[in-house]
Amino acid sequence: MKAAPFEYVKPATVDEALQALEDHLGMARVLAGGQSLLPMLGMRLMRPSALVDINGLAGELGRIEARGSETVVGALVRYATIESSPVVSERLPLLQHIVQYIGDRQVRNRGTIGGALAQADPTGEMALACLVLDATIVARTTQGERDIPAADFFAGSYASVLEPEELLVAVRFPLAPDHCRFFERGRKHNDFAVLSVAVAASRGAEGRWEGVRIGLGGVNDRPLLAEAAAAALEGRTWDDATIDAAAALAMEVVDAPDDVRAGAAYREHLVPIHVRRLLRELAQGEQR
Amino acid sequence: MNEHIDITVTVNGEVHEQRVEARTHAADFLRHQLGLTGTHVGCEQGVCGMCTILVDGQAIKSCLMLAAQLDGAEVETVESLAVDDRLDPLQQAFKDEHALQCGFCTPGFLMTATALAREGRRLGRDEIRQELAGVLCRCTGYDHIVDAVEHHLDATAEARADG
Repeated sequence: MKAAPFEYVKPATVDEALQALEDHLGMARVLAGGQSLLPMLGMRLMRPSALVDINGLAGELGRIEARGSETVVGALVRYATIESSPVVSERLPLLQHIVQYIGDRQVRNRGTIGGALAQADPTGEMALACLVLDATIVARTTQGERDIPAADFFAGSYASVLEPEELLVAVRFPLAPDHCRFFERGRKHNDFAVLSVAVAASRGAEGRWEGVRIGLGGVNDRPLLAEAAAAALEGRTWDDATIDAAAALAMEVVDAPDDVRAGAAYREHLVPIHVRRLLRELAQGEQR
Repeated sequence: MNEHIDITVTVNGEVHEQRVEARTHAADFLRHQLGLTGTHVGCEQGVCGMCTILVDGQAIKSCLMLAAQLDGAEVETVESLAVDDRLDPLQQAFKDEHALQCGFCTPGFLMTATALAREGRRLGRDEIRQELAGVLCRCTGYDHIVDAVEHHLDATAEARADG
């Protein structure tokens, strides 16, 4: 469980970090919280030539800012900060709620939102929150910045569309929907999820639901949105039949893995049940 | 290749200037280079929590931090708790409540609970279990550990209230 040798680079600015990533030609990894990266290095699942430690960049990357209706969370913001942030509590209650399902006290003291997204774990709670909250992920290189919608960010199991020389610098959240719910089934609390579901929507005129988003974790090679299911609910009032139909449509994006935590059949069994439950809770107006 | 890094780190109040290998994690550094073997290494993959220490007052798993990252930090290990032969009140609570059997996990629980007690809050048993969830114990079944931490948090909060 000892990592292979690597060069340790500690940039003093984001520009220096970007330069280091470029200099190492895709062979460097960014060290943020390190709560997933260091075990992977220990198990020698990867052997980067260098680690670029961005923990000295909290001034540039560690802030949570309210900008008009938008909330910008720096890549280096730690889970423990999200847990206790009054800005997040007011503007992104779902994000704050979800954090408690991640890791444990020690992990939440170190782990970061940017690290979680770059890790692209198919069961990642932060990823799911970003999907249903319609977040935009901001990535930077020495050449400039680009915005990546969360829905386009995850490319496969533990893979994102980030280029090796790109640094994830921030996550921008638009105004959150009025109603959000989250559910996670794991073998035990704090373990990787067997299934996670998040739903978000706002109540429009005449009780019609708008901006419906349903996110699923643990049931494919990446966290993803059940778009057909959401479309079936958009702009409508919901009764049991609409909700049942949406829950069935959610299966369209499910291609569940078989692994040590659960079999594919069990995960598939859980999806419509919990999508239906969360939608019913939303429809009954319980807010979270 | 910059494989060795010079760091200055304060451990239990003592300043150390050390040269560390880039790939060495903080737990190995404390044990092998500083001889502070109170920090135990269990799984080395962030699951068991044996190696929990405080870095700048926060409980972290020292197998999930590089020694190089301790540069400039204030580190506290289990060795900081007892003074001579006198147990720290938290350690005494563990003794009183029979909160350990083999004792291998105890440093992890003590350091996690030390950080918790500094917040000065009383917590319910469920909350205590949540806060301690990052340390595993294979002997006790946890009940006595929760008892010890509960009593210690209550005593700490009371002492604060009395000013």
